[in-house]
Amino acid sequence: MRSLLLAVLAAYVVSAIHAVLAFLNKRRALQRVSEWAMATGFVLHTAALIADWAIDGHYPLFTRRETLSFLAWTLVASYGLVLYRYRARPLGVVTLPLVSLLIFLAAVIRPTTPDNAEASIRSAIWLFPVHTTLFLFAYAAFFVVFLASIMYLLQERELKLKTFSAIFYRLPSLTTVNEIATSSTAIGLTLLTVGIATGMVWASSRYGRLWHNDPKEIFAVLTWLLYLLLILYRSTSGWRGRKAAWMGVAGFALVLLTFLGARLMGGYHVFG
Amino acid sequence: MSILLVGINHKSAPVEVRERLAFTEEACSTGLHTLVDGEIVREGLIVSTCNRVEILAETSSERLSDSIERVNEFLSRTDSVPRSFFETHLYQHTDDEAVRHIFRVASSLDSMVVGEPQVLGQVRRAYSIALEAGTAGRILNRLVHHAFRVAKRVRNETGIGANAVSISYMAVELGKKIFNSLEGHTALLIGAGEMAELSARHLINAGVSRVLLANRTEERAQRLAAELGGETVDFADLSKHLAEADIIICSTAADQYLITEQIVREALGKRRNRPSFFIDISVPRNIDPAVGKIPNVFVFDIDDLESVISSNIREREREAERAELIVESEIMQFAQTLRVLDIGPTIGALKNKLQDIAKAELTRQRNRLGPLTAAQETAVEALLVSTVNKISHPLLSHMRRSYDSSDAEAIQAWRDIFGLEE
Repeated sequence: MRSLLLAVLAAYVVSAIHAVLAFLNKRRALQRVSEWAMATGFVLHTAALIADWAIDGHYPLFTRRETLSFLAWTLVASYGLVLYRYRARPLGVVTLPLVSLLIFLAAVIRPTTPDNAEASIRSAIWLFPVHTTLFLFAYAAFFVVFLASIMYLLQERELKLKTFSAIFYRLPSLTTVNEIATSSTAIGLTLLTVGIATGMVWASSRYGRLWHNDPKEIFAVLTWLLYLLLILYRSTSGWRGRKAAWMGVAGFALVLLTFLGARLMGGYHVFG
Repeated sequence: MSILLVGINHKSAPVEVRERLAFTEEACSTGLHTLVDGEIVREGLIVSTCNRVEILAETSSERLSDSIERVNEFLSRTDSVPRSFFETHLYQHTDDEAVRHIFRVASSLDSMVVGEPQVLGQVRRAYSIALEAGTAGRILNRLVHHAFRVAKRVRNETGIGANAVSISYMAVELGKKIFNSLEGHTALLIGAGEMAELSARHLINAGVSRVLLANRTEERAQRLAAELGGETVDFADLSKHLAEADIIICSTAADQYLITEQIVREALGKRRNRPSFFIDISVPRNIDPAVGKIPNVFVFDIDDLESVISSNIREREREAERAELIVESEIMQFAQTLRVLDIGPTIGALKNKLQDIAKAELTRQRNRLGPLTAAQETAVEALLVSTVNKISHPLLSHMRRSYDSSDAEAIQAWRDIFGLEE
């Protein structure tokens, strides 16, 4: 399904370029092109994932190539939701190029011959695909928190310094980015909680152990704790604005470690 | 066909002159009937605002000087305003220059505050008055619609109207930047000066739902509260009300800090750290600068606002340069549109040409007819010419209709059929 993936890549690249130009020139027409291209890309992408599933016979989230593509898919879905709910277009300026990059990598990576037997066994039990899918969506939600927090910090800094750069006027208001960060944190945390739980249940049913002391597990739990803390602080209102935003940024570093943890530090988790 | 624009604006004339020449809406409408006689001035439109009076007219190229005279005469209200009073302030533009001027006016490039949005509405109003009066015809319709299009392009493609250039509007803009929408938010005015009042009005227009007023003299606060639909609060209770207010505008004559770090921190605790936005337009300042260091609190004093505004003005000027380029390219496009549509003279020429062909054929064949009486001679010629006319009449009147309705496609078809050059 490489040709379909290339079509997806083309659509996302067009979307990314137009999003960046729309951000710079404040042109609505460019933004519309970007959104249509993204929607087209997303539909094709979904089709590509389904086709992979049908052809390879396992849930399309197993090999490295599949993981990259799936992650890109969750990012587009999350950005789409944020766009729909908050009209926060500047998010796309970072998200869409990143998505294009992920798809590009997925397209050029030499397809590793997956252990098909293993893949089929894993995807046969529904818990496993649910576990991985939830994790990827949680990563995407935390990515949104990260971007919203960065946008918050940039603007807060300029408001305090009282000098406004050109991008100040192009970003969504403080309240909006704060809301995006808060609700994405809540969503991400929920997904992560269920993701960790399903992973544990799956592991215990397969290996008879809940916990393997694997770096990815440790980082996942640390991430979970950090976002739990963030949401508690936010809801008890003690932390708003800057501190919460810094935490949203720091949290994402942990997310990255969790995502890449397995590869860098070994462990029994097989993929990113 | 010529387009003529005569007018005065804030740059060319002081207010004493502008006010004498200004038209009310009724005066515009009756004036247009006087101005447009269908012969010297064929179409007309009057834009009259506090910053400008512009007369836009359409006339035939041959009668351009007559119509300039007519417009001047019209402006002097048949001599009730002496011409010497305003003549030196007038500018006169014709054709491309006139088109450029009206495009620049509509796009707010000619405004006192470049990029202000009201002028487009004023031009729209002027156009609808002219439409009602029946003095906007095929050329002015095209021109004014084109001007609207230019204004839209300028607004969409440049940042000319993007950032606030007045203190009161700055309050709204920064408020929106912090709170997204001002709806459901509360503003507190401490001190009820003129500037505070103006800012409050802007905030209310932008959706602020509650306005609190605190003033040392209760009376003035009450009067203003009644005017703005706000409520007065006790000056002594400031710290309590600070907790309720999202936007606080300070403009008292107090010579000390009314708002200290201490009371803001307390208020912020009660607000559960929701952000507050302070504007201090008083000199000496009423808000302790240390307040600005508190997280989730944003304080702008008069100098901060002024410096943002001056950088916004510079930004607008840069954007205005880009806008001028758009105007130039649109002038060329409009000229092109006019050229395509303007086959009026060609229709006349075509009629003459067909008759000439008939006459030339008669001269060529005259010898073969032998001697004819004078009456017969005329009859033969009349026969030919009237045949040509009868055949060509429906064609020519059809062409004229296309011309009158400015149907560009049909006009192009006529051009192709008769091999007419532009």
